[in-house]
Amino acid sequence: MVTDLTNQAAAPPAAIQIANLSFAYHAKPALRDITLDLPTHQITALIGTSGSGKSTLLRCCNRINERIAGAHITAGSIHIHGIDINRPDIDLQELRRRVGMVFQKYNPFPKSIFENVVFSLRLSGVRKRSELDEAAERALHAAALWGEVKDRLDTSALGLSGGQQQRLCIARAIASQPDILLMDEPCAALDPIATLKIEELLHQLKQQFTIIIATHNMAQATRCADHTAFLYLGKLIEFAPTIQLFNTPHHPQTLAYVTGSFG
Amino acid sequence: MPQTDQVPHRFSKHGFSLEKAIRFFFASNAGLTIVILLLIIAFLLKEGLGFFPGYRRELQVYRIAGLEFVDLSRSNLSAHEQLASVLNRAYFAEINGLCTRELKRSQEAAALFNAFSDRSSATRELLVSNLGAGAEAHPDLLATLRKNHAASIHQALAALPATPHLTSAERADLLQSIATRDVTATDDPPLVASLAQQYAAAQQQQSVPLARLRETIDAFEAAGADLSVLVSDMTATVTATKEAIQNADILNKGRASLLAAAGHAKDPATRERLLTDARRSLAANPDIDAPMQALMLHKPVCCAAHTALRQACATILEQLPPTLSQPEAQRLLRAARSATGPFLANLANTPQRISEWRHDQPVPLSAAIGSFLTGKDWVTGGEWQDFYGILPLLVGSLMISLVALCLAIPAGVGAAIYINQFASLMEQAIVKPVIEFIQAVPSVVLGFIGILVFGSVLRDISQLDALAWVPGFPIEERLNIFTAGCLLALMSIPTIFSLAEDALNNVPAAYAEASDALGASRLQTSFRVIIPAAFSGILAAVLLGLGRVIGETMVVLLVAGNRIKIPDFSSGIGAFLQPSHTLTGIIAQELGEVPLGSVHYQALFVVGILLFAIVLGINATAHQFISRPRN
Amino acid sequence: MYNPESLIRKGLPKGHIKDRLVRFSLGLVTYLIVIIAALLFFKIIKDGAPVLLTTKAPYVDLGFLLDKNETLHVFHDARGQRHQLAASKYSAYVKDHAGEPIYNERTFSYSGGGIIGPIVGTVLLTVGSMVLALFFGVSAAIYLSEYAKQSPFIHAVRLAILNLAGIPSIVFGLFGFSVFVLAVPVITSTPSERTLLTVPLFIGKAVLSFQGWNSSLLAGCATLACMILPVIITASEESLRAVPQGFRDAALAMGATRWQTIRTCVLPFSIPGILTSSLLAITRVAGETAPIMFTAAVAAKDDLPWQSLANPFDLLSSQVQALPYHIYTLAARIPASEFTQRAQYGSVFVFLMIVASLSFGSMLLRAKLRSKLKW
Repeated sequence: MVTDLTNQAAAPPAAIQIANLSFAYHAKPALRDITLDLPTHQITALIGTSGSGKSTLLRCCNRINERIAGAHITAGSIHIHGIDINRPDIDLQELRRRVGMVFQKYNPFPKSIFENVVFSLRLSGVRKRSELDEAAERALHAAALWGEVKDRLDTSALGLSGGQQQRLCIARAIASQPDILLMDEPCAALDPIATLKIEELLHQLKQQFTIIIATHNMAQATRCADHTAFLYLGKLIEFAPTIQLFNTPHHPQTLAYVTGSFG
Repeated sequence: MPQTDQVPHRFSKHGFSLEKAIRFFFASNAGLTIVILLLIIAFLLKEGLGFFPGYRRELQVYRIAGLEFVDLSRSNLSAHEQLASVLNRAYFAEINGLCTRELKRSQEAAALFNAFSDRSSATRELLVSNLGAGAEAHPDLLATLRKNHAASIHQALAALPATPHLTSAERADLLQSIATRDVTATDDPPLVASLAQQYAAAQQQQSVPLARLRETIDAFEAAGADLSVLVSDMTATVTATKEAIQNADILNKGRASLLAAAGHAKDPATRERLLTDARRSLAANPDIDAPMQALMLHKPVCCAAHTALRQACATILEQLPPTLSQPEAQRLLRAARSATGPFLANLANTPQRISEWRHDQPVPLSAAIGSFLTGKDWVTGGEWQDFYGILPLLVGSLMISLVALCLAIPAGVGAAIYINQFASLMEQAIVKPVIEFIQAVPSVVLGFIGILVFGSVLRDISQLDALAWVPGFPIEERLNIFTAGCLLALMSIPTIFSLAEDALNNVPAAYAEASDALGASRLQTSFRVIIPAAFSGILAAVLLGLGRVIGETMVVLLVAGNRIKIPDFSSGIGAFLQPSHTLTGIIAQELGEVPLGSVHYQALFVVGILLFAIVLGINATAHQFISRPRN
Repeated sequence: MYNPESLIRKGLPKGHIKDRLVRFSLGLVTYLIVIIAALLFFKIIKDGAPVLLTTKAPYVDLGFLLDKNETLHVFHDARGQRHQLAASKYSAYVKDHAGEPIYNERTFSYSGGGIIGPIVGTVLLTVGSMVLALFFGVSAAIYLSEYAKQSPFIHAVRLAILNLAGIPSIVFGLFGFSVFVLAVPVITSTPSERTLLTVPLFIGKAVLSFQGWNSSLLAGCATLACMILPVIITASEESLRAVPQGFRDAALAMGATRWQTIRTCVLPFSIPGILTSSLLAITRVAGETAPIMFTAAVAAKDDLPWQSLANPFDLLSSQVQALPYHIYTLAARIPASEFTQRAQYGSVFVFLMIVASLSFGSMLLRAKLRSKLKW
């Protein structure tokens, strides 16, 4: 743990740069003036009470928030690898393929396991069976699911257990080889054992992906994340290496939250 | 506190209570639905099941009276007549095709004159009836009538059909002659008469090189004369026999019911009276053997007549010209050629069937059932023999449903996808109520529109020269399978639309979100995730729409044309432009006119049972799809 | 490491044209339906409205609504004037102009006078069948939503409802004919010859005779009620279930019996919903032709249903005219001509207006209900 601290001192370049971001649903502000640099190939946890804006922040990074009528950025910008993702000429589909997302409630499609995994490849027009097979195997390996499902790739994904379904969703998200993975409370709907498996998986995935995980489970943040950001009522209160944030928070609100005095 | 049996706990209740009675009341009302369903099934079966034994008896009479025997020859005779008619049509098509110009000119002039006469006839007749000898009309009245007639002539002249094949001088001449015509004149205007003469002359001229074809056709027609005489002879005999058997059946039935009544009668006098009546009505069993023997004597003559006819026809048909110059004539000639083979083959094997035929062969119940399910004829109320074959009705129902579904599935499902996936809220607010409103339109109103508006519009469209390439155009009947199918499509669109939209709506929002997050475009999300996920629901919607279409009565009764005949598929897709009858339509049309309890009446109930089974089967399948878990 | 610049789109988005094309064709199909529906209504309104509406006050041709249906006589008088008179006016004319000749007389069945008979008949049939269906249907729905637990009986009831809902209307016509017209019991002293069974009642000469109600208002109402029952049950059950469980729990917890709970805390809140969906059921009942063809409807009838009756109960056993059947008669049995148009399009217009206002009313009520009832 202590060695981790020294590593973080020389933080790698930021994958996502959020600058003065404000966001609102209709007239109701959800994020206020957030500035945050999320480091490459590390896990960053977003914590906070419900309604603190952690999900909203996450969903801004692949612009999935735009699905909601009236949701819009009021100020600021998000750059991914130096590209402003809110430029009008951004290829939204390409952006979402580069920035994968896993949702709170696992949501595989009512298709076979195989079709779920190769969904994004089929979208981009890949037809060759060998290519699809290879990508599926790679993604399922990466999601630590290959061993469990390799014999029943053609059965319905809805027949898997909850934890398996969530890992399938992870496999589905990483099949198009994104380099950022957004996870919106990925373990909220899972039992402790399945949660543990996912957390183990996160450590492996870190090698390839920049991971941002929103969670209300502080223990999970301490177990997984390299960095943690604490949000409260749409504002970024504190952003620091995880150990620092939990052990020696600068801000009294952070202290109150991590010690369980509120929220 | 000790409890005794005599004093029940105050919380427990025993025996009758108001609550229980209320509960029982509600439960019995719920049970009413089961009772109704069972009553429907029971009474359909009660009225319908007697059909098969009854129909079997009719078929038996058909056989023992010898009608079946006569039909062996009669079917060949009618095939011969049909073939002759096709050949005749080919002949006239050829001639008329060769003098098209004269035909058109004559037709146009006559049409113009007829249109004029139709429009001015009312005032003209009025005037003529007052002018006639003996009519002492007041001069003022006559003046009014003349004025009215002049006005109607003026009106009629203003709206006359076009005459593209007449020169403008000819048209002006014709208009002049009809405008100045004497009111009492009855002959055709000179131009109309002369054009008719020209046409006749042209026909005459064109028929000279075709004289050989004419002779061939005449010879062909004449060849059937012997058989025709034979059949009409036999017909008289067998009809008499059949009548005798039927009368005896009726008497026997009456006697049986008198005897049964006598058995129940308590009063001895009444019983005695009933028994006397029964004795009096004792039917002498009709003599069927003697006429049958007489009929059997015809066997060799029949065989001989068939053989002769076959030989005559075979040689005559060889003399037909290889080709005709006009396309329509050529088509008919080809049709005649292709009908020749089966016709001659039938003629060839009929003598054997005639000699093998026996009147005392039993008719099993399965024959009646088979004849019902696979019979190609639904003939009722005829003088010859009634047949209850379901095929023409079933085929009609299925073809109409096919047309309706072909139109309603793309429209209903397409609209559901559009409204659910792509439309703005504003569009939804417009389209949904409109479609809901279509659902509320009573089917009889749609039928009314079909009969008064849509059918005529369709016919007018089909007569456009630009659309002549469409198979089946121009249509002969404005009320046909296609017309009915279009209206039924309109009827089933709301069903399909709203159920399909529900199915799309029920797809969890998480699927769309996940798909978007994976980089799918709007279209990809709709077509690769949402629609496949809603597929079973959409299928159920289509099936329920089909159930509605097959069960619909008023539209098909009004619009399908009500011709009980399997459409002629030789014209390909044009078969869909022919009139037809349906399972539902036949019940609605005939139930009001049949005697209670007759075989015909029972047949309609069997059709009802069949309809009930078909629709229930379709709906059950649909509900399987709806209740199937989503995976 | 991929090139971040690939996020930037060059030219139009991929599949842009395909997207537009698909949207356009789906939209086209949708609006085609709307246009066809609009044309249909337009045609009926264009030809039907002039029959009913006039330019003078009261702007409605009450004669068409309130006169009896008669045969239309079209003829010319001796002055060459054309007259179109309904049968009763025609005979008055002939009496007044005795001795004067009449020319070109033609008659058109069902095309003269008004349509009060069919309107009244349809109202009677609709009211009668809705009363029956609501009574039995709501009771059944109360059982299903308030009392029922999983049991084979409930399963059978649900299956029966599902099947009843799918049965074609003509089969209901057959059912109504064979049951209500020919088989249900009546109390009479002179049983008919075709009676299925007679049961002596030991009151004078009266017997219970299973001979049916003949083609009558009652038979028609019963048939229509059976047909609409599943719709009413389903809609009522939905309305009852929409009442929050908390209402029931609260009432039961205060010691109310089941029935008291239903009467005070469930039914009052669900009645608006039940009535709203009943309006839609009314449009269906009013529009059906096939079930009443053999059970109640008659093409021509001189009197209104309640006229010339020996006693008021005979109303139930008399045949009635009905609008949908009248339209069927007008469409199928008489050829279209300029003289029949008034009757044909006028009837259809009136009928469509009735149905449209019912369905529009139900739509409005539903929207209002949705915004008002929120718990």
